[in-house]
Amino acid sequence: MSLQYLKQAVVENDTEKLIKYVRLHLGDGNDALGKQEIDKAWIEALKLMLDVPPTDMEFIFTALNNQTPATLAHLFFHLHFYFVKRSGEWIHDGTL
Amino acid sequence: MTAPSDETKQLRPALWETVNERYPGSLITMNNTIPLARLVKPLSATRLTFVSSAGVQPKGSRPFDVVHPVGDFTFRQVSSAAKVADLEIHQIKYPTTGALKDLNVIFPIDRLQELEAEGVVGGLTPSFFSFIGYQMDPERFEATLAEEIADAVVADGAEAALLCPA
Repeated sequence: MSLQYLKQAVVENDTEKLIKYVRLHLGDGNDALGKQEIDKAWIEALKLMLDVPPTDMEFIFTALNNQTPATLAHLFFHLHFYFVKRSGEWIHDGTL
Repeated sequence: MTAPSDETKQLRPALWETVNERYPGSLITMNNTIPLARLVKPLSATRLTFVSSAGVQPKGSRPFDVVHPVGDFTFRQVSSAAKVADLEIHQIKYPTTGALKDLNVIFPIDRLQELEAEGVVGGLTPSFFSFIGYQMDPERFEATLAEEIADAVVADGAEAALLCPA
């Protein structure tokens, strides 16, 4: 999908096109796998929270309060792949 | 140096159809093809550079941002004298299984060094140039990264360039 295509989808609030792109991006061109990858990342993050381990809330709120939305969005993409990698099931070897 | 040729046909026109089919809305067209250039002196007297979209970079340099949804518009210079052991690949959109076994399959630095040693090419530029091929914004790509690489290639004294898409 072209950037122009996605920007037009934002203008038109066409969530179908946008989520399709997100899934294609996260699934290396495979829509269904992209959906699974999103679920996988969230499950991995959830697993880490169940025992309520100590976390650096100061870091979290400092980042949320001081970083730009674009930086946080960029971090969001990196976090997705971080948790996918942590899951041990890595599909992003380019063979899809 | 090189001179424009009269060759204007696209080398792989079906490639764009494939991309457009897999990524609907890509709207990729190639109707502004720049004529290929011909060598004006023997390859054995020509200083060659190498430009790759494979995402290969020196170990320890900041990894390419392979997760950005629009792309990473930066490039890395790779010493043409580097050893494969000095390099790593950052890529998630293209197969890397073979490259992880032998980086030369996608970034043939050993082969190019051999061609220089054998005199097949007149020499290699001090640096090769690498970026990642996942780019969603062709206008930005053309205006920034492509121009920056072109400037760096010229500054490095290249007389011919081997372009290698990943």
